[in-house]
Amino acid sequence: MNNPAHLDYDTLADLAEGLLADDRAASVNAHLDACADCRDRSADLADVSRLLAEAPVPAMPAELASRIDQAIAAESLNSAAVASLEQRRGRRHWRILSAAAATVAVLGGGAVVAQSALQNGGDGAAHVPASDAGRAAPLNAAAFTVEHSGTDYRAGDVARQVGALLGTLRTAELRTQGGQAAATLLGCVEAVTRGRTPELVDQARYQGAPATVIAAPGASGVRDIWVVGADCTPQRPHVLAHTTASRG
Amino acid sequence: MASVSVRRVDEVPDKELLARHAQGDPHAFAELVNRHRDRMWAVALRTLGDPEEAADALQDACLSAFRAAGRFRGDAAVTTWLHRIVVNACLDRVRRRSVRPATPMGDDAAFDAVAPKMPDPTDAHGVSLDVREALAALPFEQRAALVLVDMMGYSVEDAARVLEVPAGTIKSRCARGRARLAPLLGHHRNRPAPRNVGGGEGGGTS
Repeated sequence: MNNPAHLDYDTLADLAEGLLADDRAASVNAHLDACADCRDRSADLADVSRLLAEAPVPAMPAELASRIDQAIAAESLNSAAVASLEQRRGRRHWRILSAAAATVAVLGGGAVVAQSALQNGGDGAAHVPASDAGRAAPLNAAAFTVEHSGTDYRAGDVARQVGALLGTLRTAELRTQGGQAAATLLGCVEAVTRGRTPELVDQARYQGAPATVIAAPGASGVRDIWVVGADCTPQRPHVLAHTTASRG
Repeated sequence: MASVSVRRVDEVPDKELLARHAQGDPHAFAELVNRHRDRMWAVALRTLGDPEEAADALQDACLSAFRAAGRFRGDAAVTTWLHRIVVNACLDRVRRRSVRPATPMGDDAAFDAVAPKMPDPTDAHGVSLDVREALAALPFEQRAALVLVDMMGYSVEDAARVLEVPAGTIKSRCARGRARLAPLLGHHRNRPAPRNVGGGEGGGTS
């Protein structure tokens, strides 16, 4: 082989992208026809693209996903604060309603665990059927129980606290509770989980303030956990924090 | 009881999610990010190389997109728009990095802190690490073009829209980048090792 004009990677890469002028492309192609070494180099370049394409797509780390969810939730709160007065007037109605509902929940409570509206029972084993006929929740949310664990959830530790609580719940006493509180809460949970059946709905505290912690199974072994304000409604869930954790 | 939309949210097109967000739906934007987060993360991680910086850039990008959603023009795909914001956030990081000394933080520790906990198949992991190292040898513009075209499968035209440069510029950046990576990634090839080019006549680019 005796060709002084071997082709470098840049020339071959330009050829592959159609970036060479016609006469140059013709001479390069003529060289390639005659030169196995340069054909190898040309194949090297194709291999680069193949190797890049085959590199596995990294999944976003769960910690980062929850960090970004929290940043977005915080941003939502900020932007809600500057929402128009008209919108706020509309929402005040719901705040008052939900405050009343929260009171009902406390008065009607006393039970360690309350039971909320059920429609399509899920795995009915751990759930007591609702006895309250006055609950007209036209929702597809599956069964869930409402806990009052008394936990004071802390930022950064929510996932662990939820995991620990879920580990102890099987022995908890189940009671039924109906009425307005359950319907409002049901709507809140439905809106937050977007219809997924929650594993945990705990009316407790977050950073010292009344809040509800909702956990639901997410995709591929992940558990989504939301912390919502005590004034959570379907229209305004008031998400304080969202995190994800693997389901142990 | 007010009715709650129970339409499965994953059936909602991206553009409608963005429109709902602009109208004040508190879930729509989080859903949009959730839907595309792995690809956005891949673009950021591969473009920046460093997981910690990629995480910061991605958070910046998500908040920028949250605020800019009202200015989204419907003539582009939402993913194109999102990826443009991600790439721009990465470029901001690169520019900031260039005016301050490199952080003394241990890269391995940073990587472990945010790395997925899933075990990788060993062979794929080995290749991806070397691809990552090789990509780090490229200038930002070439790396971003190759990330979009070769790694994420964008067409040259779509990559041009993401990076807001002419298609010819994308082709040129991809060509320069591939030419630079070819000698770096040589040992991953499944073909026999290339013969010595030119038998001592020069003209090789090794």
